[in-house]
Amino acid sequence: MESTTPPRDPRDARAELAAADQARERLTDGLRLPSGLHPALAVAVAVQVGTAGAGIAAQTAAGLGVLLAGLAVFLVVAAVSLHRFRSINGVRVDGLASQVVLGSGGTTSSLVYLGSFGAATWAAFESLWWLVAVASVVGGIGYALGARRWWRAYRNDPVAHAGGASPRLLAVIALIACLGFVVLVVVG
Amino acid sequence: MAGLDPLIHAPARLRLLTTLTAVSEAEFATMREALDVSDSVLSKHISALVTAGYLRSRKGTLEGRRTTWVGLTTQGRRALRQHVAALRQLIDGVD
Repeated sequence: MESTTPPRDPRDARAELAAADQARERLTDGLRLPSGLHPALAVAVAVQVGTAGAGIAAQTAAGLGVLLAGLAVFLVVAAVSLHRFRSINGVRVDGLASQVVLGSGGTTSSLVYLGSFGAATWAAFESLWWLVAVASVVGGIGYALGARRWWRAYRNDPVAHAGGASPRLLAVIALIACLGFVVLVVVG
Repeated sequence: MAGLDPLIHAPARLRLLTTLTAVSEAEFATMREALDVSDSVLSKHISALVTAGYLRSRKGTLEGRRTTWVGLTTQGRRALRQHVAALRQLIDGVD
């Protein structure tokens, strides 16, 4: 049985801290992203951006259906990716969930997503479908690169990047996003 | 020594709490491997830290098998921070 008396010797204290850090490193060094996460995320976001732009521009019930279908594709890919991460590693990291679902890892990726979303919607209203496609691809790639950047930052400093929105909060946000899109199409 | 938390004195508990700072929640077997301890030792430490309010645990599944998931509470995070600061103070007192 291990000692439960406090360390009096600084060398013991140093050794205890080093052992604790090593245990944490052992865990984080073994963490792996599910294979194909970034391409899957890029495609899912591209689909979501493109369908959202087209759906909003259509201003019809069918358009709303397209928009929600695209959003569903993205949410399914995000949920499956996070489930696979949890299964592979035996851990849950809310920072990763926030990054995958919200793209909240960096200002640049958020701006790229919002820019591509705005461009795709505008292009759909103007019937510039090639531009919708380009904006969607740019949005998807930007989002995936944001996720990759977050993962590198997490590997460098897991403690600082582990936190994020809980699964319950993310589910509520996804629901609000769905309702928001519905309102946008119905009111618009 | 002031600031040292008696509940975190056992090195395995310090390792357990420190490891959990890198994740939101971890499964029992994953923690056992990271800490290199037996099931019974880990189980005992988790129980004590859950009772103290430093950890939260829940029954869940992983790949179809039932298991326990554990995570740090806000109280546990604070206690760990203070304990580590006290250990560093002890080290700095000599350096």
